[in-house]
Parts: sequence; structure tokens; C-alpha cells
Amino acid sequence: MTTDQILILIALSAYIMATLALLTYFLSREPFARMVGIPFAFLGCITQFVELLLRWQTTHIWPLTNLYGSLSLFSAMSVAFFIGFALRYDLWFLGGFVTALAGGFLGYALSWNEGYLPPVPALQSYWIKIHVPLVVSSYAAFMVAAVASVVYLIKYYFEQSLEGGAPMAGLSAAGAAAGAGNLGLRMQAEATGDLASLRESPATAAAAARGNALAQWLATLPSLAKLDVVTYRVTAAGVVLLAVGIVTGAMWAKEAWGAYWQWDPKETAALASWILYLGYMHLHSRRAWQGVRTSWVSVVGFLSIMFCYLGVNIWISGLHSYKM
Amino acid sequence: MNGSTALQPGGGLRARFDELTRDTLNLFANVLFAVSLFAVWGVLTLIGVIVDQGKDPSVYFNAYPPAVARMVLRLHFDNIYHDTAYVGIIGLILISLAVCTFKRVIPARIPPLRAVKIEHMPLNATVVANGNLDDVRATVDRFFASRGWSIRKRELGGVEWTFADRHDWARRGVLVAHIGFVIIATGTTIYWAKGFSGNTTIVSGSKTTIPQTGAVLALDQFRYKIQPISTKSGIVYQPIDYVSDVHVTDGSGKTYATTIRVNHPIDIDGTLYYQATYGFAVDFALTKDGAPVPGSVAGPIMEGQTIPLGRTGRAIRYRQFVGTIDRRTGGAGPDPRPNDPGVVADFFDGDQLIGTELIPLGKEFDLGAGYRLRPGRFTLYSGLTYRYDPGIPLVGIGAFVLVAGLIISFYLLPARMFVRIDPAAGQVDPPRRWAVGLAATTVKGYDIFEDEFRELVSALERETNPPDAPRRGSLVPQGAPT
Repeated sequence: MTTDQILILIALSAYIMATLALLTYFLSREPFARMVGIPFAFLGCITQFVELLLRWQTTHIWPLTNLYGSLSLFSAMSVAFFIGFALRYDLWFLGGFVTALAGGFLGYALSWNEGYLPPVPALQSYWIKIHVPLVVSSYAAFMVAAVASVVYLIKYYFEQSLEGGAPMAGLSAAGAAAGAGNLGLRMQAEATGDLASLRESPATAAAAARGNALAQWLATLPSLAKLDVVTYRVTAAGVVLLAVGIVTGAMWAKEAWGAYWQWDPKETAALASWILYLGYMHLHSRRAWQGVRTSWVSVVGFLSIMFCYLGVNIWISGLHSYKM
Repeated sequence: MNGSTALQPGGGLRARFDELTRDTLNLFANVLFAVSLFAVWGVLTLIGVIVDQGKDPSVYFNAYPPAVARMVLRLHFDNIYHDTAYVGIIGLILISLAVCTFKRVIPARIPPLRAVKIEHMPLNATVVANGNLDDVRATVDRFFASRGWSIRKRELGGVEWTFADRHDWARRGVLVAHIGFVIIATGTTIYWAKGFSGNTTIVSGSKTTIPQTGAVLALDQFRYKIQPISTKSGIVYQPIDYVSDVHVTDGSGKTYATTIRVNHPIDIDGTLYYQATYGFAVDFALTKDGAPVPGSVAGPIMEGQTIPLGRTGRAIRYRQFVGTIDRRTGGAGPDPRPNDPGVVADFFDGDQLIGTELIPLGKEFDLGAGYRLRPGRFTLYSGLTYRYDPGIPLVGIGAFVLVAGLIISFYLLPARMFVRIDPAAGQVDPPRRWAVGLAATTVKGYDIFEDEFRELVSALERETNPPDAPRRGSLVPQGAPT
């Protein structure tokens, strides 16, 4: 086995272990599971970066000139993004989903690993070291945002089911937070230890008090408002990265092909996804759309990113068809 | 007023016009309308990704069921990015962006300093502090100033208010982003108005004149490098380099030698020339009963060009150059380098394709009726794109401004703290205990600032009640949801 293969194997194994441990933490909130999962997530991510750097160092070929390299970076960046936001906002409960997806994408990347190929003339530019990491990092941010949105939707719909399908007091996260009282009440509740009153939904709080296991589990998740804010923050990172990625891509296109915009399927699909996320950012400025609706937009946005990333690369031929 | 309107017939019309203008502006200032435009723009853009653009109608009828193909052609999905509807949507977005900027973004983002009911604000708290009023005020001011908040004071309704603002300048982030869009649009409009672009092909050893600039490019030679590389799937012939060695005569009549590579365009009098394609021009000899057919071929021809077959109404199209013919299969081999070359020729009777053949170079092919075709030597040609775009600097500036605006509006969170200091409940004159009422707003709602507000309140409480001093107050959450 080559060093390259050993590192990939370590990264994949680490992601599998991190997924098992952090999914256990998501379901049980057992701190031990979190303590086991976090180092494995770090290990997988670092190993992937080391593998890419080693590949570059050994061959002197920038490792992001093919689908294997970019998928590998996507996988590593998604975990890196997640770790960054988890450290800032204590989001480890999302980790199992992120590492599962990262591991899945790394496994899929291996199917495109054809070895070391020098880049075609169009890719022989310093722009590849700027444009590709930016765009792939934006995809990674959108993946983390989509995972947070999915957890938001899981919590939202489970809470709805506990309320017998009746709409919650506030359709939006902001409304939900308002339903739980303002910060003054929250602080009072924390001071008195009456944590039940911190939950958005009175019905969920009541069900938790009655011993309903689902309600008790839901209560361990962060509030819908917090999940919404996390999704917004990660999406904002992705939107800016994608904007800079599109701009640098246009500058590169200008240098390579003579026009900054060619309506190539890849750049057009990236524009469509960016427009979708701009829609998300604008909708999020409206209180009535914050929360469940913008979460759905985030999920659809990530599907659009996946179409732009993999669908266009694999199924639609164009100026960006760099599979190998 | 109604009577006045009745006396002036023009007044009713004017009122209706004003109302229509107001409604139109309100529509364009509506965020949901803007998002709807984004959605339509996104869908149209995506259609352009899925449906091949700029192809012959027959391509769509081959690719889709007839009804779908007809729909693609009638709705102009085959050239969607240049369709009036597509350009119109972008125009509507720009109008919406401008109206939103002036009617929504500026007024909402730069709010006036005003009194608020602190207990009605979702983010509110009260810190109780002991001491004289001036000391408490000074402590509060020092607290916010030391954290980078700018302090302004106003007396409103006989009460002194302190307004602490953080990242106040960043309230213009959305405005900056919108201005970026407008600058980009201006830059691209300048290209449409004053720029030009085109493509040209030059066979090695020949030259061409660019009509718009008068520049002359002579192609000395075209070079390519293709490297066979072993991969897990077999040998891949990877292109490594494409180079045109040219002599250029610019507008001043000066001639000089230079090279054009992919990613390395050359600049001649402000117009940029790019390496775009290359190919193999082939000398064809067409004979009938052993004698050349007059007027059929003049010089080497490139892929896609046709040779008329005398006056028969038939024609031969040189479709593709094959570098290496696979001798085992008789078809095109994977190696594109000209080791054992041939050409793929299509034969037409009028518009009807009647056959296709791979003909090795140097071999004659019998076309029937005494006609014979012989592809001879090949010459490399280079395909160049040229473009003059005076809007580039503006587009670059616009992109920078747009990204700067996005970063400002997404990452910096302008927040305003409303501070009002009142005597604490039950205090007699002169009061020694004060209730410092705090309420906060941000441009992105309350949830996003909740944790930070909590930390600020706790820190202020510590500041007004230092640990070495006897505890003088406590954080008293106040206010019920309204």
C-alpha cells in the first residue's frame, strides 16, 4: 500500500468512527460518545489535508485538477467548516451527519481516482489555486448548512406531531422564540432551573414532563431559533465564498477563454445556485419566512449545489468537464 | 377635498397616477417580489444548463419528444440567455434592487435615534446599580466604549437616552452590495456598446487581418504537446500544451514575434488574443476519371468545411481528423497524435447524409461515377479568439464592491443598544439605586444577537458590581412577552 492509500484509509476509518460516535451522541446525548467522536472527526479531516498536501508535494501537480481531488477537498472542508462552527456554537450534535456525508463523498471520490495526471492546458494557471478551493469550500459550507436545516426540520416536524399536527405558536424561529418569552424570561428560567420553560413549544414541554421519550429527546436539541441562526451563519459564509469563487472563475475565464462569462453549464449552474442562496438570504430578512421555510430553501439549495458540482461534471459536457 | 378633485378633472387622473406609481414602487420594493424574480431567473438559468444552447433545431428533435422539442424552440429555450424574457428578468431585478435600496434598505438600515419602550423589546434586561447618577452613567458609557461601541446621547421627552451603536457603518453593507451589482451591469453595458469580439483561424505559414483593428497575425507554427499517461483505466492521452508562434503587426505598423498560449493571451493595441482551438487542415485532391475537378478545392481545408462534387449536387464534408487509425478495428484509435492519420468524411446528396467514411491520408477513395478523393498532407492551424472590452475595469471594480458589500452585510452585525437610567423602584429623593434599562436591536433580528446580549448584560452587571465591592445590584430580567 502506498502512503497515499494508507492516509485515505485512515481518513475513511476515522469518519466511520466519528459518525458512529457522534450519531450516538445525537440520539443519546451521552457525553462520552461526543468525547470519542470529536477526535476522530479531527483525525479524518487532518489526514485528508495531509494526503492532499502529500500528493502535491510528491507529484508537484496541484491535487485539485480532477474530480477525485476536488471531492476529497470538499469532504475535508465540510468537516473543517463543521468543526469551526461546532467549536464556536457547540454544534457537535450535528457531527454524525456531517462526517457520514464526508466519508460518503470521500468513498465516492475514490472511484474517480485515476492516479496522477498532469493538468490540461486550460488548468495550468495560478487561478486554479484560488478559484477551486473557494468554490469547493462554499459547497462544503452549504452542506453543513443543509445538515443544520435538516435537523431543524426534524425537530420542527416532530414538535408538530407532538402538538397533534396543529401549527406551532410561531411558524418562524423568531416567532417560536417569542412564544417562549423574551430573553428576560429565559434568563429567569435558567436562574430558577425551570428549563422546561426554555422550550419553544409548550406542548413539547408538557409531553416531556409527562415522560414522553421523543419530547425529552427534542428538548436536548438546541432551540429552533438557534438552529435557524446557525444555518443562516453557515449559509452566509457559503454565499460569500461562492460569490468570490464565481468572480475569480470569471477572471480566470477572461484570461483563458477571452470572456468572463461563457454561459458554460458549470458556471451557469453555479450562478443559479448562488441566486437561490441569495433568495435564502433575502427571505431570511423577513420574519415570516425565517425558520421552517428558509430551512427548506437551504435543503433545496444544497440539492442545486450537488447538481452543479456532480451533475454538471458527470452528465453534462462543457468547458468544466474535468473528471480525470 | 373630494369637491376640489371634482372641480379639477386632471386632479383625479393625477391621483390615480400617483397611486399607480406608489403601488408600482411598493411592488418593486417588496422583498418577496425580488425573491420571485430571483426564482424565475434561477429557473430560466437552470433550463439553459439542461437544454443545449444554440444548436440546430434537428438536435432538439433528436434529443426530446416532438412536443418538448417544439416547446424548446417556441419558448426560445435553445438560446435562452439572449432571449428578451431573460434579459427582461435581469432588468426587473435591477429595478427592484434600485427601488429596494431607496425605499427599504436605506430607511430600515439607518434608523433615527428615538425613545423605545424597553420592556416591550424582545431583547431587554435591567441591571441595578448603586451610586450617584453621573457615576452610573459614566460606568455605562465606559463599558460600551471600551467594547468598541460608539455612544450618542439624546434627551427625548425629558429623559436622557444613551444610544450605543456597534458597526454602525456596516448598516450600509446591503447598499454597497447593490451598488456593486449596478457597477457590474454598467461595465457589461459598456462592452455591449463599445466592445467587440470574434474568432479567427490561421493555417501555419499564413496570416490573417483582424477587421476591427487592422492588426495582422502571421502564424509561424502551431505546437502542441500530448503525453500518454498510464492510469487505472488504461492509457490517457493528456494534452499538456498548445502554443501559437506568431508574428504580429500592430496598428503602428510595428512587427514583432510572440507566442500565444492557453491562459496567456497577448495584448495588441488594447485587444486581447487568446489561444482557443487548433486543428488539422488537410489538402484534398478530387479527381474525375484521373483529372482534377476544376474549382472543387483551393488549398487546405479545415474540419467542418465541404468540397462540392462537380455539378452533381453532392458534396463531401471533412468532419474530423483522426490522428491514429486503429489497424485492428479500422476505426479511430485513442491516440490523437498524427502517427497513422486519416480523415472522417461525410457524403451528402443535397442536405441528405448518405454515408461516412474514414480515409487514411495518402489513400484514394472511390466515390463512384469516376470521382476519386485523396486526402493528402496535413497542416496544423490555430484558432484564436480576440476581444476588446473597455468595460473590464468597471466589472472588476463592481465585483470587488459586490463581494465587499456581501462580506459587510453578512459578517458584521450592526447592533443598537438603547439605554435608559431611572431610579430603582422604591427609591426616595435623592435616589442612590438606579435601574439601567437595556434593549437591543440588530439589522438581522433578535435571535442572532441573543447570546451576545446575554453576555453583555452579565458583563455590565459585573462592571457595575465589582467583585471586591459589596454586591450592589443584580441582573433583574424584566418584561413579559407582548
